[in-house]
Amino acid sequence: MDIRMSGVTKVFEPEIVALEDVYLSVDSGEFVYLIGMTGSGKTTLLRLISREYLPTRGQISVGDRNLRKLRSSELPYYRREVGVVFQDFKLLQNYTVFENVAFVLEAMGIPPKLVESRSNEVIDQVGLWRRRFLRPPQLSGGEQQRVAIARAMVNSPSVFLADEPTGNLDLRTSEEIMRLLLSINAAGTTVIVATHDQHLVDSYRQRLVELHNGRTKRDERRGRYFIDGEL
Amino acid sequence: MASFRYALRDTFRLLFRHWGLSILTLLTAASVLYILGFASLFAMNMKYMISRIEGALVVQAYMKRGETTDKALELVHSSPLVSTVNVITPDEALDRLRAKLGNQAQAITLLGENPLPWSLEIQVQKVEHITPLVRDLMVLPSVEEVLYAGKLVERLANLSRTSAAVSGVILMLTLLISTLVIFNTIRIAIYSRKEEIEVMVLIGATPTYISLPFVFQGMFLGAGGAAIAIIGLWSTYASAVEMIRSTLAFVDIIVDPRILGQFFLFLFGAGATTGWMCSWLAVHRFTSQGMRSR
Repeated sequence: MDIRMSGVTKVFEPEIVALEDVYLSVDSGEFVYLIGMTGSGKTTLLRLISREYLPTRGQISVGDRNLRKLRSSELPYYRREVGVVFQDFKLLQNYTVFENVAFVLEAMGIPPKLVESRSNEVIDQVGLWRRRFLRPPQLSGGEQQRVAIARAMVNSPSVFLADEPTGNLDLRTSEEIMRLLLSINAAGTTVIVATHDQHLVDSYRQRLVELHNGRTKRDERRGRYFIDGEL
Repeated sequence: MASFRYALRDTFRLLFRHWGLSILTLLTAASVLYILGFASLFAMNMKYMISRIEGALVVQAYMKRGETTDKALELVHSSPLVSTVNVITPDEALDRLRAKLGNQAQAITLLGENPLPWSLEIQVQKVEHITPLVRDLMVLPSVEEVLYAGKLVERLANLSRTSAAVSGVILMLTLLISTLVIFNTIRIAIYSRKEEIEVMVLIGATPTYISLPFVFQGMFLGAGGAAIAIIGLWSTYASAVEMIRSTLAFVDIIVDPRILGQFFLFLFGAGATTGWMCSWLAVHRFTSQGMRSR
């Protein structure tokens, strides 16, 4: 699914401008790094796409949906098409790895047998098969990150958003996570990764969008540079 | 169907995760519903007793000598307050008198001509209807005298009104208490799963899917509390019936198993419905807040 943002501004009370006049166009199946310093607006941008936030001004469309006009009854169905890996993982501490992943499918009303087979498949894919009955506090940071990725991809979303997926992880684990994200993208999913891990961005060259003080500072596609949001 | 199974599983998780709170709510709901049931049974029995006495209350209107009951009958038939009316001819009245006097019935022959007037025996629908009817009859020129149990009528009417008001207040209070107890229990359960609900909202769970386990939990607690209350009420009522029958045999109380069965079924339904409504209210507010984009 493609993502289009035009003239998007997000202002939080009182007068904190998180994003200002952002134009962004992401094609279906594209991989985009969203970089920038802390407070540059990366997380806000992802939350606008997942419709946790509504823009103060401007339009956002994902596929054929205009997010501003999305009715609250349609919201759950939209969110099922957008997999999100949260910065703080948001894993349920009392649930096992399997339960954390499976409950996404359960919430969609999928029959138990299908839930089990699909969850196991994804857990295996992220390399946590042996740890599927452990709970988050029993896992390392990298493993928890992988559970979060498994949960976001288990229902095969069309758009995948990851907020700092390699934050606080060692180099080797970061590269493993990155390869996982690339494999998700290879299956045709649109992926946007918010990161400030320069090593990652340099090692796995993809389209790069840099935010600075809530504005698009550069948009680099395969080596070409677009300054100040000019596409 | 799968969603329903998941919701049911989560309901039991909720009930057992906070088992102490669940038991406490169950017992509180049972106590409150017991009081509610007791108050209702008391009110029902009061109403039953009053209606039995009301049924036996008769207004007797005696006509003046030489007057017939035509005018009075016209008035009585036009009144919606009257349930039945009997015309007593002077001959019928004399027969009754004879029957009453028994061995002394011979004395009636001393009267010569039958001196007894025409009269009406009137039964009204409710005790409150007697006074206005008597007032209307008294103003008729053909009516000599109207007899009725005046004080008893007034006392019964007062008792009927007071018992209805008191049971109404108790009913409202107990309903309010049970609503608050169940509502707060569900709210605590919701807060204990706050994080889970937030994640559910973000991954695309519908408000119905999120709400169902809480709604079921409320229904289970309400219905379970009602079931315990019904068991308690059943045994209390059975002992009360036994006691009243042996000591106050003239007092009429409800013993019809059909009426009692319907009442207990209603109490069970009231418990389940209160639980359902309270939990729905508690969780609806929470999910609709979660669904709102900031």
